[in-house]
Amino acid sequence: MEHKFDIIIVGAGGGGLFAALEAVRTNPQVSIAVVSKLYPTRSHTSAAQGGVNAALANKDRDDTVELHVFDTVKGSDYLADQDAVDYLCSQAPEVVRELENLGAPFSRFPDGTIAQRPFGGTVKDRCCYCADKTGHTLLHTLFEQCLRRGVKFFNEYFLLSLEHADGECQGIVAMNMRTSAIEAFSAKIVILATGGHAKMYWNRSSNAAGNTGDGQAAALRAGIPLKDMEFIQFHPTGLRKSGLLVTEGARGEGGYLLNRHGERFMARYAPQKMELGPRDLVARSMETEILEGNALTSDAGSYLELDLRHLGAEAIKKKLPQIRELSMHFEGIDPIEEPIPVRPTAHYSMGGIDANMARTAVSGIYAVGECACVSVHGANRLGGNSLLDILVFGKRAGQEAALEAPRRPLRRVAPSALWKAADELKSYTSHERYERYGIIREEMGKTMADKVGIYRTEERLRQGVEEIRALRERFRHIRLFDTGTVYNTNLVQILELKNMLDLALCVAETALVRQESRGSHYREDFPRRDDEAWHRHSLCTLEKGGDVRLAHKPVTMGKYSLETRSY
Amino acid sequence: MERKEVAFRIYRYNPQVDRQPFYDNFKIAVERGITILRALNYIKEHLEPRLTFRAFCQAGICGSCAVRINGVSKLACTTQVWDELTGSGDDPILVEPLNNLPVIRDLVVDIDPVMEKLKQNYSWVRPAIAEGEMGQKEHCVSDGEFEAINAATDCILCGSCYSECSMTEVNPRYISPPVLLKAFRMNNDTRDTLGCERLGQVSGDNGLWDCAHCYKCAEHCVKHIPIVDGIHRLREEMFERHMTRSEGARHAQAFFDDIRSTGRLREATLPLRTLGVVKTLRMVPLAAKMGMKGRTPPFVVKPVPGIDRVRGIYRRLEANRAAKQGGE
Repeated sequence: MEHKFDIIIVGAGGGGLFAALEAVRTNPQVSIAVVSKLYPTRSHTSAAQGGVNAALANKDRDDTVELHVFDTVKGSDYLADQDAVDYLCSQAPEVVRELENLGAPFSRFPDGTIAQRPFGGTVKDRCCYCADKTGHTLLHTLFEQCLRRGVKFFNEYFLLSLEHADGECQGIVAMNMRTSAIEAFSAKIVILATGGHAKMYWNRSSNAAGNTGDGQAAALRAGIPLKDMEFIQFHPTGLRKSGLLVTEGARGEGGYLLNRHGERFMARYAPQKMELGPRDLVARSMETEILEGNALTSDAGSYLELDLRHLGAEAIKKKLPQIRELSMHFEGIDPIEEPIPVRPTAHYSMGGIDANMARTAVSGIYAVGECACVSVHGANRLGGNSLLDILVFGKRAGQEAALEAPRRPLRRVAPSALWKAADELKSYTSHERYERYGIIREEMGKTMADKVGIYRTEERLRQGVEEIRALRERFRHIRLFDTGTVYNTNLVQILELKNMLDLALCVAETALVRQESRGSHYREDFPRRDDEAWHRHSLCTLEKGGDVRLAHKPVTMGKYSLETRSY
Repeated sequence: MERKEVAFRIYRYNPQVDRQPFYDNFKIAVERGITILRALNYIKEHLEPRLTFRAFCQAGICGSCAVRINGVSKLACTTQVWDELTGSGDDPILVEPLNNLPVIRDLVVDIDPVMEKLKQNYSWVRPAIAEGEMGQKEHCVSDGEFEAINAATDCILCGSCYSECSMTEVNPRYISPPVLLKAFRMNNDTRDTLGCERLGQVSGDNGLWDCAHCYKCAEHCVKHIPIVDGIHRLREEMFERHMTRSEGARHAQAFFDDIRSTGRLREATLPLRTLGVVKTLRMVPLAAKMGMKGRTPPFVVKPVPGIDRVRGIYRRLEANRAAKQGGE
């Protein structure tokens, strides 16, 4: 079966939906479809709690776009491309107001303007929010507006491959999850907005089960380079048992981090910013506390405490209702009465598809949001900048695609692409195969957490690379036991695992090669940032045999030159 | 840590191989503090890989994993196994797909009907700001202004209320609670300009006036949203906007008038006042049948004793409303 559209958007989170909305608004003549493995409102954008940064200056009247740029560049440990950061921050006030105009119920100050709160790693209070359900409300607002504009959705379609002919986009091949039918979507332009890949840390991750980097893996296999894959953000405050996230907003509102002795230990690591240091620094400080035996212990592992009690019941109920609910559901404690048990958890992938202002190496293929590396987050993302990233670059990609589409011919997906996909899916049911999904996935998560985690060394990373290679080898023997074609979740799980394994190898290999510490990438054996050798982006591509080939790319600098990063 | 053998009885149906649905039983050792979703994952990973369900965020915010647990629609990821143990703790926990939606396989249902209804009923804000001026400035919204819709914006479209709705059960074309909730949320958003059109749309056939106030949607909302309050508010808005010509509105008006004049319902003339002459004539055979069984409602209804006190309530309510409008 073949579908034909001018623009295909893969992924229906905030980035994909804003791209679709903007494309329709820019040029109502172009035909657009959103292809997603989830119903749109299920996307992981919904999980973003804290907020979105924009220099509206509603709180701190002297806040400016320049300061937002500076905070972002410094937060990135100077690895972000400054032209992209300039664009991100300069567009921020407009996109936030636009979402407000379209119905997002942003919390307010008494004077009626959008409220802003402090967030980690910033000099001004510029994080706009809707209580602690910011992502959820933005996602619903965008979905509602897409319904209003009649955007066509193909829900529960799984991306199998990205197709191009000599660097010109042809479209995608996807599987209808309800029927397992393999369908071609020929398109002049494809916008990838498939979300992140931090689920490769499996239960040491705050991510949803499906954050498996499907777009990144498809791009990698289509010859599009991935950038800065070694940078995985660990969020300081995951719940002890589940890894689920407690928003940075909880610290923004004044929460304390305490160790076993009841000490606010951040005083020793970031005396000025305390709990509101940047995420990489706070996560590492917590890990150090755990390693040095200052943590509390339990059956579910060591943990530290996030204490909100001094904020009072009313503030907790009004400003952090979801956090209270999560704590009660998943830890059985009420933060009004007790501190929340937390520890760092893999949270966000700064790396992704190498994109220059959303354009990839293949003409007609765009990438936005967490699946892309533009790069605005560099080596460490600031809280409140990820929602901003998907809004700004989703919008831009939609706009450019709608203008570009009429000028491009439709190149159709070759029938051989469908046969190839069909052969692959069929091969998984072969009786000669014996490896099990759950076992490989479990080992992958453990390897990533233990060997490619917060603290990295040459030795552990080498082991990590070897183990992931071995798991990829074992994956070649993975067996699909469910041979049915109706809503086959086993098949989807196997395809997701394949994607995670390819990307895990990229993460481990680039982490091994980068012999310095920068942002979220911390090498115990190279604890300093080494600008001379490593102030550059890493690129990886896949070779025919399945090995990762590494290359480098310079960082685009701008107003801000390299400085030591301290908080 | 407390551990226990827990039995699960799970609805299974794969249209490719099963002639009809059946129930599968699994017994697993579960630790206290484990959610139903984690139990399902365990069963899928270790006992029956073909067991099919949706799950995504595992944190109660995406709405994917709504199923019926012991007959009640809720999220598998936020429901504790321990809270679902019944009897002496040995009864199996029943897990079934949501009601009122077609089953695709096992616990997975087709939620396209919900999406379709959202699309038909203007489930979006149409802002007053012109397209070209988007993003230029924010609406000025006072702190309390979103208070009314705050709870409604918590809706994650998980489908639990849709599954519990007794009206949807008998009439699949009924607009359904989540769609009415969205309408309420939009109509009470001070930035929206579609109020009248939306209200007209949602109050048509199979719409707003068909809700039977069973309160099951609100009772089982996973986000504790007072959905029925929203539905009531929409109905009040119909009257405020003088959109009183529909059968539903006339029916409500007739109740209102009857209670004021006699303190009880004048059922005999109710169809005439609600449906009009033509449709009432169609009810003659029913009336005749009721007459034969001695079930004809009285034509003359005398006021109840103490009718003055009933009217007093009306007077007070009207005075309240006048004062409120004066205040605005």
